Amino acid sequence: MTLTRRQFGAGIAAGVALETISTRSFAQGATIKIGMVVPVTGPAAESGKYALNGAKLAQDAVNKAGGVLGKPIELVVEDDLTTNPGAVLAFSKLAAQQDIVAFLGSIRSTQVHAMAPDILKTAKPVMFGGTDVALTKLGNPWLFRFRPNDSYSAKVISAYGAETLGKKKWAIIHSTDAFGSGGAKALTASLEALKITPVLDQGYPNQSQDFTPVVLAIKQSGADIIGSYFTFENDIAIFARQLRQLGVNIAWVGSPSITVATAVKLAGPALYGTYGVADFAEESSPEAKAYSKLYRDTYKVNPDNYSSWTYDAITVLSMAMNTAKSTEPEKIRQAIIATKNHKGVEGTYNFDANGDGLHGYNIVRNENGNIVFDKHIDFES
Amino acid sequence: MSTGGQNGIEAKSAPGDAATLRAPSFPVSHLGFLALSIVAVFLAATMPFDGYVLNILMQAATYAIAVFGLSVVLGLCGQINLAQAAFFGFGAYAVGIGTADYHVSFWLCLALGMVVALGAGAMLGLTTLKLGGHYLAMVTISFQQIVTLVMTNAISFTHGPDGVSHIERPSILSSQQAYLAFCVAALAFVGYLVWQLPQSRLGRAMRAVRDNELAAGVAGIDVYRTKVYAFAICALLGALGGGLFAGGFAYISPDQFSFAESIIFLTMALLGGIASPIGSVIGTGFLILIPEWLRFLKSIPGLYLALYGLAVILIVLFMPDGIWGFISSIIDRFRAKPAPQAAGDLVLQPGQRGGETVLEVNGLAKHFGGLKAVDGVDIAVRRASVHALIGPNGSGKTTILNVLSGIYGATAGTIRLDGADITRAPTHIRSIAGLGRTFQNIRLFRTMTALENVVIGAERRGNELVDGSAQALEKRALAALAFVGLKGREQELITSFSYGHQRLIEIARALAANPVLLLLDEPAAGLNSSEKLELHALLKRIAAQGLTILIIDHDMTLVSEAASHITVLNFGKRIADGESVGVLNHPDVISAYLGSDD
Amino acid sequence: MDLVLQLLFTGIGIGAVYALVALGFVLIFRATNVVNFAQGEFSMVAAFLMVVFAVDLGWPYWAAFLVSLAGMAILGVIFNLGVYYPLRHRTYLPVIISTIGASILMANLTLALYGPQPQVLQGWFETQGIQLGPVFLDSQYLLIIATTCVLVAFQYWFFEHTMLGKKLQATSQDKEMASLLGIPVVGMIMLTFVYSAILGGIAGILVAPILFVSIQMGSTIALKAFAATIIGGFGDVAGAIIGGLALGIIETFGAAYVSVPYKDGFAFLMLVLFLAFRPQGIFGERVAEKA
Repeated sequence: MTLTRRQFGAGIAAGVALETISTRSFAQGATIKIGMVVPVTGPAAESGKYALNGAKLAQDAVNKAGGVLGKPIELVVEDDLTTNPGAVLAFSKLAAQQDIVAFLGSIRSTQVHAMAPDILKTAKPVMFGGTDVALTKLGNPWLFRFRPNDSYSAKVISAYGAETLGKKKWAIIHSTDAFGSGGAKALTASLEALKITPVLDQGYPNQSQDFTPVVLAIKQSGADIIGSYFTFENDIAIFARQLRQLGVNIAWVGSPSITVATAVKLAGPALYGTYGVADFAEESSPEAKAYSKLYRDTYKVNPDNYSSWTYDAITVLSMAMNTAKSTEPEKIRQAIIATKNHKGVEGTYNFDANGDGLHGYNIVRNENGNIVFDKHIDFES
Repeated sequence: MSTGGQNGIEAKSAPGDAATLRAPSFPVSHLGFLALSIVAVFLAATMPFDGYVLNILMQAATYAIAVFGLSVVLGLCGQINLAQAAFFGFGAYAVGIGTADYHVSFWLCLALGMVVALGAGAMLGLTTLKLGGHYLAMVTISFQQIVTLVMTNAISFTHGPDGVSHIERPSILSSQQAYLAFCVAALAFVGYLVWQLPQSRLGRAMRAVRDNELAAGVAGIDVYRTKVYAFAICALLGALGGGLFAGGFAYISPDQFSFAESIIFLTMALLGGIASPIGSVIGTGFLILIPEWLRFLKSIPGLYLALYGLAVILIVLFMPDGIWGFISSIIDRFRAKPAPQAAGDLVLQPGQRGGETVLEVNGLAKHFGGLKAVDGVDIAVRRASVHALIGPNGSGKTTILNVLSGIYGATAGTIRLDGADITRAPTHIRSIAGLGRTFQNIRLFRTMTALENVVIGAERRGNELVDGSAQALEKRALAALAFVGLKGREQELITSFSYGHQRLIEIARALAANPVLLLLDEPAAGLNSSEKLELHALLKRIAAQGLTILIIDHDMTLVSEAASHITVLNFGKRIADGESVGVLNHPDVISAYLGSDD
Repeated sequence: MDLVLQLLFTGIGIGAVYALVALGFVLIFRATNVVNFAQGEFSMVAAFLMVVFAVDLGWPYWAAFLVSLAGMAILGVIFNLGVYYPLRHRTYLPVIISTIGASILMANLTLALYGPQPQVLQGWFETQGIQLGPVFLDSQYLLIIATTCVLVAFQYWFFEHTMLGKKLQATSQDKEMASLLGIPVVGMIMLTFVYSAILGGIAGILVAPILFVSIQMGSTIALKAFAATIIGGFGDVAGAIIGGLALGIIETFGAAYVSVPYKDGFAFLMLVLFLAFRPQGIFGERVAEKA
């Protein structure tokens, strides 16, 4: 029995028949270690759980298929406490373990910013999910993004709203955090490229208890479409409910948080009929469908983008190591950059020199509480 | 606080304070500190740490400097500050924005951040004029929240939630390890200053304010200014720590300086023990390491933060003086008691600026709403006399004393001490002008030794008999304690003295200040008969030195024996005034005390 | 004008939430002279209890409500015995810190037991609200405003017109004197904590349908409620209500006409102004320390 306890647990959890794993013979005690910085506690603990779920599914899949360079991969998890200093410490703790070959960073842009100096010093590849455009332009060669960045979400939101839905009077609602204000800036820019000036640009602080003033501002602006960048699910749900209560029923295209399972559950009917960009959409591809089935079977909940990017990241990273036939950082890096036309569950990965893997988004629709795939919009990198 | 608690933090025996004023032993411990610091800096510079350990140490060193600040404001001065993370942020953002955006020298930015924080801290301290306790806690929380909002929303200046990256540091400290060594050196330097602070005049003043604000004011300490200094120092150290933190991590964002972080700073200070910088270092180290050690509990979200919360409660319940307080109380048990010191004779030389009348009160009134507690009273106390103020309960005696010493403002009338008008002067100014007093319910600085209490009296500004040197102060304090008959017990904590002896210490504190006029508020209250006899003798010895005394008491034997002149009050008005014997036989006085027949 | 009315309603609704939580603060402060920094967590725990009973176990709403409040009463007892009682003879500072510890403990223990997902709790009413001309009145906010009025009236009657209330007041003013008069001081304080936990619980259960049930729901409200308490003058029931309402209205109008991102700043700015210029609050009286 060469199985570690962790793999054993994951195997059971994945609902994979035990003998399928144990028939593979991996070298005794040798694993390829991948560090993972995840919020296990703090406000984002929920998304951290999903991220771990996705990564474990990929881990099992990779190991079932023979692992990396003949060895099973193993995830080494550190809690970032949902804080920036926590992320820095978690990363540096992982980085101190010489046998870790690569890392999964955070889905939160500020955390990736905070870790970036240490990542540069460590000089090993880090896959991350933060969507701040600037992250892949820091001149840090070790950062690889597994979600489309905000410039694409903004482009897709504006293109869909202005061209497909034909709306010209935009109200932009965004959180004042890094993600929200960055997204709003990108959305304004891509609307301007379409010769549209938003009629309203309204920020709000996270964990607001009330959105009445915001909703009334939308009403007064005469907007016919809302483009939104919300960070937390409860904020979007409170906003959506008050929007409907105060009789605003205009079109709404939102950033990925509008499609997240928790938001859909919390807001209920208030989000019916809205559109969102989603890096992950179940119906967008056969790969995504297969993944969704596996995920649902394993964890009994619907998958979302918190887990899909980690799944893709582990898969692509393992592929890259197998292609490079090495765990040397520079060689892994080259191999990731060279990854083209890989059909992941989030979309098709064509890495560019900056380290951005995806260049488009799915548009999805909330149909009576079900997230339905509408179309995929891709851009040239 | 209804339970007689004073403003400020309690501390059964404030560790770190205890070594106060044992001057001769200092070179050894100071050299030890220096050696320890050099070793620590050397290790920081040379040990082959990996990145994780470096980060942890860097965080611990910079946080500890900020926690030192809390040990000053909370530990020494007894004021709560729930905004230390905001001050930490001032330093961090000054270095961050300054070096990354404006490319200004690191040192200049660090200094600038400290100056800004100093100003903001002093401003926060200014609000303590009117507020204490919970109110102060709330003001600091508000300040913290507003700072966080500005950091998050003033995007054009602070970069908002994105935070500031590419923070630079001096080129000579470009290696992580060199920078860590520098931070440890800064920690040691600041630690030394904070360690020495309690033994300085300012530090003693802070402790006095913490222990008993009223008594501190009456002993000549500018309570308000002392608090402002404490806040300013706290903010300054916060900013220093923050500036170094920013240089160490090269990236900062608003969530690192939130209210939650302020709570963590506070917990660090408490866990280690607020009264000592050693405690601060221990507390900081623990709270940075504990979450790291407990990372194994990560499989259940929230569990280790729950344990953290539980630990905070348990510490408060069972280890009120923190870890270091706990350790040092054990060490203290084995430490030899210092030998009694020789004491000289106490000299009282009240100045002679004014004329024959030391205290001249004209038409003094104090109204509480509709209640006329004191209503147009005149008193004239002649130099070198013992003057008594008597009257039945509720006649306004204690109110007059409180108006005289500045605890209450006068509604009308004038007070002249030694020729100077002090009607509107704050408490400590009256003390500087030469007013000394004791309290009916004794107000001593309870965490200090008898000697320290009396030293605070002796260092009253305006006391011309000491030159302000530590030796002179100590000499005078020893003499004052010997004068009241407590020779040999100088180094004991106040709590180990009997009630009667505590009263004597309070008198010694007032005498050490060499006052022009001594106000005694019911000195015989609560004393047994032999203690009363001692008090009689003491009063005679004081009077023999020519010090003017104004005494309030119920004990008619004491009053008639000691006082040459008596003023009698009833219902806030003066009903009799004159030589003792005549006044005591005055019919109005008799009826006021015994009740009239009608 | 429509705009103003709508904002006014929302402001009053939010203000009523602050006022409700502020009542709990005032109560404990009056009995013990202690500010309970874990008051917000009482609301959070009660809301989670509701989710467990009403949603997970599917009990009738009223049964779940009563059982949750019973749970809060027990929590009040535990809180008193574990966090306040051992420290009753010490100054305010250790107690403040111990309640802060309790707040961290409660929040994270709930997280450990229930997980981080925000939960949905239905309101009492099926309908979302009433459209009154141009103004939409959220049914849950209406319920909160009504409950606040009832509880305020009850609290006023209780403290001013019942023996128990008067005993509680006596206890808060002078514990020694109260015990000399034969008032069971320990029991009175226990009762205060129980009632205040229940009060916090009611507030939590009432706002849950609006704000959803999350670990952080308590702390944000509590901080504002605390501000409201000070603005109203600590220890004053009417003051806490006025303070809460004023805060809710100012915040809502401030957000609408000045700035949404700085919305939370108005509360704290107002607080600082009050503390600087009228620290006794709207109604409170300053009590000078006796020498």
